Parts: sequence; structure tokens; C-alpha cells
Amino acid sequence: MLSIARSELTQILRNRAVLITSLIMPVAVAAFFIRFRETFGQIGSLGYIGAVIVFTIAAFSLYATTVTTLAARRQDLFLKRLRSTAASDASILTGLVLPISAISMVQVAVILGVFAGLSDGPADIPLLVLGVVATFVMMLALGLATAGITNSPEHAQVTSLPLTLGVVAVTSWVGITGTQDLTLLKRLLPGGAATELIVNAWNGGVPLGDSLVLLAPTLAWVVVAVALALRMFRWEPRH
Amino acid sequence: MTTTPAIDIDRLNVTYGDFHAVKDLSFQVEQGELYALLGTNGAGKTSTLEVVEGHRKASSGTVRVLGKSPGDRRAVRPRMGIMLQESGFSPDLTVAESVRLIGRLSGRTDSERRVLGVVDLTAKADTRVSQLSGGEKRRLDFATAVYGRPELIFLDEPTTGLDIQSRDALWEAVEQLRHDGSTVVLTTHYLEEAQQRADRIGLMHRGTFRHEGTVAELTRTLPAAIQFSLRPGAPAPLVQAGPGPDGSYLIETFELQSDLKQLLDWAHAHEVELLGLSAAPTRLDDVFRAIDAEPVPA
Repeated sequence: MLSIARSELTQILRNRAVLITSLIMPVAVAAFFIRFRETFGQIGSLGYIGAVIVFTIAAFSLYATTVTTLAARRQDLFLKRLRSTAASDASILTGLVLPISAISMVQVAVILGVFAGLSDGPADIPLLVLGVVATFVMMLALGLATAGITNSPEHAQVTSLPLTLGVVAVTSWVGITGTQDLTLLKRLLPGGAATELIVNAWNGGVPLGDSLVLLAPTLAWVVVAVALALRMFRWEPRH
Repeated sequence: MTTTPAIDIDRLNVTYGDFHAVKDLSFQVEQGELYALLGTNGAGKTSTLEVVEGHRKASSGTVRVLGKSPGDRRAVRPRMGIMLQESGFSPDLTVAESVRLIGRLSGRTDSERRVLGVVDLTAKADTRVSQLSGGEKRRLDFATAVYGRPELIFLDEPTTGLDIQSRDALWEAVEQLRHDGSTVVLTTHYLEEAQQRADRIGLMHRGTFRHEGTVAELTRTLPAAIQFSLRPGAPAPLVQAGPGPDGSYLIETFELQSDLKQLLDWAHAHEVELLGLSAAPTRLDDVFRAIDAEPVPA
């Protein structure tokens, strides 16, 4: 698994175009939101800005890159090649998504760190970490599922678009309007409950138990995404 | 010699929707053997090979590879090397990195210097795969298949795109592996390679074996050919067929030696020159060409 992860990191760094485009987008968004944090704080809250940062990174750096690189590795028959060795399917997939997950984690830590330094900082760091991890796991699983219906890295630009834009839109909707009205719908949408959890973790003032309940829809999405990935993921190009 | 065959296939079926790619196929490959799986396009050999390699599930039937299920990757893969038909290396990795990665994942131990030496790619060790020619990619593929000298090696069209020197070098490496006891399963479109190298041949057509046996057994089913032509005005020879439209004679025979002697004796006695004389045993090509003409066995 680690040798696959190391080779994947080498490949990502050598063919930087995908990495850079997917890393720059969240940095630009984060810079914009942090620059106008007082305005966005009034529109939503500081927690909303935190949630936007987390979800932009999860959607672009993690999810879209995962879809693109898995489609590329399949198109090159590299997945089939890895599967002709003694490595198990689980270790192949883990090895392949490990580098981009680590890069995204570092990115989210650095940007949230900068944001915390410039503002009041999160109220509950462990809960925030939990929210970020749950979001990342959900987006990774959705990435595997989406890769299944993606024929090429170019095609990934189309197939990954609904979810990247969708979750960021959900984040803004939930982050700005809260969940007092349409509670169930907002919490059941992908990213809705996770946004509320991150907002709560940053702003504080919500009992821990109420926040932890919000993990349930996110984990349900993980289960749905894994089930979809198991059905939809393909190791070889269609003939 | 152990009695367990390297590959044991019993009534294998592979279907894709309505298409029956492999039908009730049974055969064994003995340890140490070089077995060539040949066939026309769409004959089902790739489907068969993919099941045996563990890349595809059988629709029905049993397949044992080295005594185990091919799906048991952890048990089977360290003992077998696979050269895929299409390379499947990452264009962004170098030759050495590719060999190191795939070699390590095979579970065998070897040195990348040794295997790159075998395929004469040492000078290209730090070259990215995207910069390699088609032939160099085939050689890289072969290098990963023979990494750690596995007991069982699959070569799926190994010499396609190779120049003659690389081809000879590859076969030399295969001979060395066989000398060390490896079993080799080969598919190729170069029939003369199969004819020269294979101990046995399984000839597939429409999902099933049309012939199976040694090269001699396969070619024995078809006649050998004697060809010649005569100068105008020469006496007609005592052969069953008259001259073709170009004036040349073709004699098909299962008794090449005696029929050839008879012809030469006749030519000598009548002081006739046999122009462009050739006498050739049946080649595998002819067996192949005859496949479509044969009735499908019930």
C-alpha cells in the first residue's frame, strides 16, 4: 500500500497540472472569504466561512482530483496492472487516494490555521477535526463512485461538476440560512449536516450531543457512497 | 515430477450478456511446459486467459492455477508473472520506478538491475514510460513479468512490435526461465513462434478448442504441399491435378517423402526440369486457414 502511495505521489508531483488547478481554486476561494470575513461573518457567521473553506477543499482538492486521477490511471490500464500483482483491491485503492488525502488535509489545516489566527478561532477543535474528517471520508467515497462513471480524465470535468458545485451550494445555503426551517431537508442533503457540524464547532454555543447527532447523515452518505462505489467502480476501461 | 498441473481448467464458460465467449473449455498445462493458446480474433483466448490470470470471473466451470483458485491473489500472484497485452504503466513513472513498484507488489524478490539487463533497458532506467517506444514498453512489461523468476509466466502477445534482436533476446530469456523450471503460457499472432517454441498448442475457434496437441499432431491433420512448374512442351507428369491457371502444379500429400521421390524420379527419367520446385511440410498457418472451412463440430 505504501509503495503504491509513494508512486502515486511521484506521479501527482510530476504531472502537476491537475494538482495545481485543484489546489488553487480552494486557495482563491479561501483568500476571498478570509479577506472579507467581516462581511461574510455578518451574512452567515465565522463558522460559515470555516465550512466554506472545508467544503471547497473537500470538493475540489480532494473529490475532483480523486475522480480525475482514478480515471486517468484506469485509462492508462495502470489499475489493471496493479491488480495483476499480489496487492489486494483495498490496499490498491487506499494507496492511490492516500497522497491526495494527505495533501488536502495539510491544505485544510494550513488555511483554517490562517483563518483562526486572523479571527477568534474555533470553539471546539476536536469537534471541528471530526467534522473535517467525516466530510473528507464522505467526499472520498463519493469520488470512488463518481470515478466509476468517468471514462477519462477529461470526462471527469463533467462528471465531477454536479457534486463539487452541489456540496458547495449546500454549504452556503445551510451556512447562511441555518437549519431552523426545512431542517430535515437541509440536514439530509449531502454536506448539509456536516456544514452545520462545522459551523457549530467553530461558533460554539451548541450542546455537544446535538452536534454529534449531525454525524449520522454524513455517515449515512458515506455508506451510500461506498455502496455506490462498490457497484459502480470499474478497474478496466470499457471495451 | 509432481503431478499437479500448473493450470487445470474444467468445463470453463465465460459469457457476456448473450455472447458466449468461452464454451465448455477443458485443458491442462503441465509444469515446465510451454503452452501456446492460439486462435482467430474473438476466439475466446483473451477471455480464457483473463479468467486464468484472475482478472475475470468464470461464468461456470472450475479453474485451478498452481493448485489454487486464481482469485486468491495473495497465494497465487507471488508465484506467477503476467505480461499483459497492453502495457498499463503510468506514463509519469520512470522505467526503474515501474519495475520497482510492480516487482515489489508481486511479492517476489529480485533486483531491478538484473531484470532491466535481461530486456536491455538498463540505459533507459531513468527514462519516463511516456518516452518509450512501443517495443520498449513490451520489453518493460516482460521485465516485470519475469521479476523474481516466477514459476508460471503468462506472455500475451509478447513480441508484437519488437525488432528481431529484441525478439531473439526475449526468447533466449524465456528459454533460460524454462531451463530453471518455469511454466510458460503464450498467446501470439506469430504462428512460426508457436510452431518453434511451444510444446503443445491449443487452437481456439468460437469459444472452444478446434485442435489441441503438439505441433506435429496439429500439422499432421493437413497435407503437405509440393509445387513446381514445367517448361512449355514438356510431357505431363502423372499427378492427380493438372496445372493451375499460372501453369504451376500443386500436389497435396500426406506422403511427402515418397511422393516427392516419385516426382523426382519421373523428372529424371524424362529429363524434365522442375521450375521453382518447393516441397514444404504443413505449417501452422495452413491449420489456421483451414479452420473456417471446417464444419463446426456438433
